[in-house]
Amino acid sequence: MSHNSKKTGEDEPGREQENTNSRRDFFKNFGLFGAVAAVGSAAIYSGYNYEESKPGHDMVKVLTSDNRIVEVPRDQIKDVKVDHDKLQKQGREGLKGHRFVMVIDLAKCRNARKCISACQGAHHLRPYEYHINTLVMQESEHTAPYFMPKPCQHCDNPPCVAVCPVDATFKRQDGIVLIDNERCIGCRFCIAACPYSARLFHWEEPLMAESDKGKPYNIELNIPQRKGTITKCLFSSDRLREGKLPYCVSACPNGVYYFGDENQDAVTNGTTKETFRLSELLRVNAGYQLMPELGTKPRVYYLPPKNRLFDFKEEKDPVQETT
Amino acid sequence: MASEVNTDFLQNKKLDSIAADILKPVGITQGFIVWMGFLGIGLLACIYAYYIQFDNGLIVTGLRDYISWGMYIANFVFFVATSLVGMLISSVLGLIGFKWVKPIARIAEIIAVAFAAIAGLVIVSDMGRPERLPYVIMYGRIQSPIIWDVTVVTTYLVLSTLLYFLPLIPDLAISKGRIDHAPKLLQQTYEVLSVKWSHTSQQYKILLKAVRILLILIIPTAFAIHTVTSWLFAVTLRPGWDSSIFGPYFLTGAFVAGSAAVVILMYIIRVNYKLDKYLTSYHFDMMGKLLVLVSIVYLYFNINEYLVPGFKMKTAEAIHLKDLFVGEYAFMFWCVQLMGLVIPIILMLFKFFRKPLSLFVISIVVLVAAWFKRFIIVVPTQDHPFLPIQHVPKAWTLYQPTLVESAITLGTILLAVIIITVLVKFFPVIPIWEIAEEQNEADHKINE
Amino acid sequence: MIKRYFSLLLIVLISLRVSAQVWVVPAENEAKKSPFAFDDQSRKAGGDIYMTSCKSCHGEPGKNNSLPLVPPPPDMASAKMQGNSDGALQFKITTGRGPMPSFKNTISGTDVWKVISFVRSFNDKYVQEVATNAGPGAAVQNVKISITWLKEQSQVQATLTAPSKDKVIMPVAGAEVKLFAKRYFGNLLIDEPRNTDASGKAIFNFPKDLPGDSTGLVQLVVVPSSEAYGETKADTTLAAGVPTYLPPLNEKRAMWNVVQKAPIWLLLSYTLAVLGAWGFIIYVMLQIRAIYKAGSRKEND
Repeated sequence: MSHNSKKTGEDEPGREQENTNSRRDFFKNFGLFGAVAAVGSAAIYSGYNYEESKPGHDMVKVLTSDNRIVEVPRDQIKDVKVDHDKLQKQGREGLKGHRFVMVIDLAKCRNARKCISACQGAHHLRPYEYHINTLVMQESEHTAPYFMPKPCQHCDNPPCVAVCPVDATFKRQDGIVLIDNERCIGCRFCIAACPYSARLFHWEEPLMAESDKGKPYNIELNIPQRKGTITKCLFSSDRLREGKLPYCVSACPNGVYYFGDENQDAVTNGTTKETFRLSELLRVNAGYQLMPELGTKPRVYYLPPKNRLFDFKEEKDPVQETT
Repeated sequence: MASEVNTDFLQNKKLDSIAADILKPVGITQGFIVWMGFLGIGLLACIYAYYIQFDNGLIVTGLRDYISWGMYIANFVFFVATSLVGMLISSVLGLIGFKWVKPIARIAEIIAVAFAAIAGLVIVSDMGRPERLPYVIMYGRIQSPIIWDVTVVTTYLVLSTLLYFLPLIPDLAISKGRIDHAPKLLQQTYEVLSVKWSHTSQQYKILLKAVRILLILIIPTAFAIHTVTSWLFAVTLRPGWDSSIFGPYFLTGAFVAGSAAVVILMYIIRVNYKLDKYLTSYHFDMMGKLLVLVSIVYLYFNINEYLVPGFKMKTAEAIHLKDLFVGEYAFMFWCVQLMGLVIPIILMLFKFFRKPLSLFVISIVVLVAAWFKRFIIVVPTQDHPFLPIQHVPKAWTLYQPTLVESAITLGTILLAVIIITVLVKFFPVIPIWEIAEEQNEADHKINE
Repeated sequence: MIKRYFSLLLIVLISLRVSAQVWVVPAENEAKKSPFAFDDQSRKAGGDIYMTSCKSCHGEPGKNNSLPLVPPPPDMASAKMQGNSDGALQFKITTGRGPMPSFKNTISGTDVWKVISFVRSFNDKYVQEVATNAGPGAAVQNVKISITWLKEQSQVQATLTAPSKDKVIMPVAGAEVKLFAKRYFGNLLIDEPRNTDASGKAIFNFPKDLPGDSTGLVQLVVVPSSEAYGETKADTTLAAGVPTYLPPLNEKRAMWNVVQKAPIWLLLSYTLAVLGAWGFIIYVMLQIRAIYKAGSRKEND
């Protein structure tokens, strides 16, 4: 079991408060690959030759892309070219042999909104820009209200992808619908087509446009975000590639989220890290999909909000209050 | 258009007087300079507005994530719609054999060319990344209705331009010796564009064949352009757009807007160029009847579009319809339906209201209403997505076009007017040879 | 107003109800002690686990930044929490209650003690008592586990052995073990925890419908429940699953797929329509040339 905990025990960037830990931010956004690359290329830039002319020094000062000077052992410096094309290729191909699926247990959601802040932190979004949003739902007048986290449904018949004129948004073999903001022309047809209101548009310069400038574009993280293009929930495909659960899933304190692979018939709870049979979880709890009548075939399942362990308490709107 | 042309009309003395009447306003006049200066300054201001948008992004518009298509898209639909009239008048009515459309056909084509050309620009104004326009060709996904739209709008623009240009060739040949009052450059342009036209029967034969191909080809193309434009909405799942009659609904609406535009341009030309002899009250009367006809058909589609879902009041549709009928958009909705459709239909049933001036006034109201009708189709639907709009700034739930946005929209309209002005001012607006030929035939009949 | 009053009352009642119920820890568990002495290594490892699995609710110990839930998750550095015995903490972490989930199947026995080791580092007065190596449940060293797949019965057999004092390999009897199937994001508990018999064997019923890879291979892990057996575990890949191959989701032609995978009918009709229309357009343009040529000929005549 220790193996399992370790795997998920590595940095949990989604839980970090924004901007408090620049080193972590840097690694999380860039990936180790990019970090080594930046260190490597920066080394050349900031006097690698000079250092080399002085034998006996085994530490080299290098400038990282977040403007810190750090010392790195000379023998650990590698010239890695930031392979933008590789990020694009692997991002468009997706992970072979998987069909990712999310299960959201509405009985447990008490609107802690930790999923939202983790996601916004990871993807450099403003407080009112949602890849995932928790909605207050009430089916009809006399039914009980409940909280419903709503990410992109990553439909198997995605209406948004069907209308894209330039292949900027696409569905991968593992079921994830991604957006390539280097391709997007900003026509917003996908926003019109999505019945789940899952997509958003960068009407202005994105939150961290300035500091993200020059980073190699990671299509699986959609950073740097770009003005005039679409962004949306990515099922944290950068994390999935490393075998980690999505940002929102691991940030939830209430055990709302399960995430897993339909091919393996297994989903893992983001809070307890306990793994369950997907088919059984859906069968026992009467799982359902959002608006299945539209034929979009979502990859997100919901478990109905029954036997809630807490009282429904509608809070004041965090965004409306401040804006 | 006849299958053969009797070139006798070239010898008929009447040709000279017809040509003189029609060519008299051709060239640069003081009025033209003032008018173009006025349009140009207005356009500059609007271009500056676009520069602001280009620089800052679409944040300068009233659009946000929920209502992400607004004035620009409404304007685009309006432009595409209005341009369809070229097909209706010269093609459908021409092929059926209505003689009265002859002097109007070119006016309709001018509108078609101008509006189709600007429609493409309008859509660029809505793009978040206009510099990536070439991607549409480089990475086009043919499953996307946008690609279909780009294809058919381009095709329609080329067809309309050809359909404007081909029948103009004999006129250019007739005119080139008769516009001494016009600038040299224009005379040279006539020379080049008349492609050595020398009124041989072989040339007429080629011309008539080519025009006939265009007239037939433009019908499916024009149907396609507006049907596909309607599909930009109808292929989505949203209540208010998810409708199977959107194609014909848009098409008939397009004829209303287009016919009104033609009447307006006809009237302006008739008054300014003193062409009462060619654009007679008869022509206005006929255009009035056409406008009534297409308006009634459009009204019929409106009834279908609103009554059927209104009868059922499905949850999502009900919210949308209530908003239109009695809610936030009720004032605009009823104004558009009554002023743009019901009242004009009633008025134009009477001959008095089909007289040039009154028809002109009615047409202006109809055309303005047509623009707002597109707004009513595009915007309110997005106000009510399936899932509630929550935790976003209040301003996001209410779409209010900004000044920049309105200026850019106005700019596209100015551009269309500029194209129309240039075409109307520098080239004969009424087909000289077709009128002369008709007159000649009439003379022959009298002589016989 | 009444509604608000009512819901407030409800919250109070719920919190009263929950906090009123004392979390009873069985005496046996209460007295339980860690099999190893807490040191810097265990504190560090425990801290990592804490940050992953506990921090989201309980916050960082001593910082009083736990989530504002009802009932509130206590700060681990608080006197109330530190008042628990090591055994009580171990019981509560593994069992769970109400909104506090059970970590029985996600944090191994040894790791739970490491977490406690970390939690205790916030208590200066704490003095650890290590379990004595005597009596039942005493630590067994160098346990080896082997896993076999009994295809006929659709069962998995785990065999535990350990060297005795005389270095003779002996079966480990009466040890509770758990069987997991590895999945992409975590380990799936198979069947129930089983006790080994006198021959050191534990038999697990394996579900007949668990997907394996394309040849049915499944990676299996066997872990003893009790920390008394150290950090031993077995990790074997066996053909116990159902051979599963689900094709890529973007394999078929569809309206939403890339242009190379557009429906054939669409590719055909689009291409034909465009070629047709533009064929005629080019033909018409050639006619303009023909007009020009005819005119030139006449001029020359």
